[in-house]
Amino acid sequence: MTASFHDQVIAILPKLRVQALALTRNRSVAEDLVQDTVCNALSAQDSFVMGTNFAAWMHRILRNRFISDLRKKREVANIDDTPQSLLSVSGRHEDRLALKELDAALARLPDDQREALVLGVLEGMSYQELADIAGCAVGTAKSRVFRARRQLEIWLIGEEDDVSGKTGTESASRMSSTRRKTRTARNTTRTAQQTA
Amino acid sequence: MGKSRDTTPSRKPKKKRDKAFDLWLKRGLHQMFDNVVNEPIPEELLKLIQEDREKQD
Repeated sequence: MTASFHDQVIAILPKLRVQALALTRNRSVAEDLVQDTVCNALSAQDSFVMGTNFAAWMHRILRNRFISDLRKKREVANIDDTPQSLLSVSGRHEDRLALKELDAALARLPDDQREALVLGVLEGMSYQELADIAGCAVGTAKSRVFRARRQLEIWLIGEEDDVSGKTGTESASRMSSTRRKTRTARNTTRTAQQTA
Repeated sequence: MGKSRDTTPSRKPKKKRDKAFDLWLKRGLHQMFDNVVNEPIPEELLKLIQEDREKQD
């Protein structure tokens, strides 16, 4: 038996939340975005062809809604609000610090790279699925994930070459301050390496 | 050719570090996002979907 349209909407809500949070970086804005997405999807349900990729269709609606909201008011992300709400996890002090640094680094990534990375790594989406959602070529989706991952590695662990496309001076100044702050992340990565 | 590149001494630690970073990144993202994913869906949203379902039936 195939799930009804509405059952599919309910089933995909957790994944929409992840995408919304990756894009907005603000929990309450993300909740609103998911709700607006559901409203849009319900209004447009006649245009969905059963048997086609429902997940991609929903994620695309959310993405388009995010872009449209962003155009309307140019200040969606309230990054200061994010670490407390997003990082309310238990654990060692060092782990929490590393997570905070990861969070800050994620905030600095372009929206499309952050979205691709989170959906790819966390939700295990293929490059094809990411491309379907973003309406871009598979190569572009692949490049977004690669660049995001690489950039995080540079910021958190430190590397010589910067892939963000920023100028050398900008990168160097950012990197030197980041390097000072990210010993924790480096240590945590070492721990992961040892336990891998 | 690919094999010799993979076994180059300078390449090995980098690959190992890449793997470790990937693992750390995945764990970090899970810690950051899992609690959000596992939160219950707001009643209001479920009601909205249910009302639309009834309207369609």
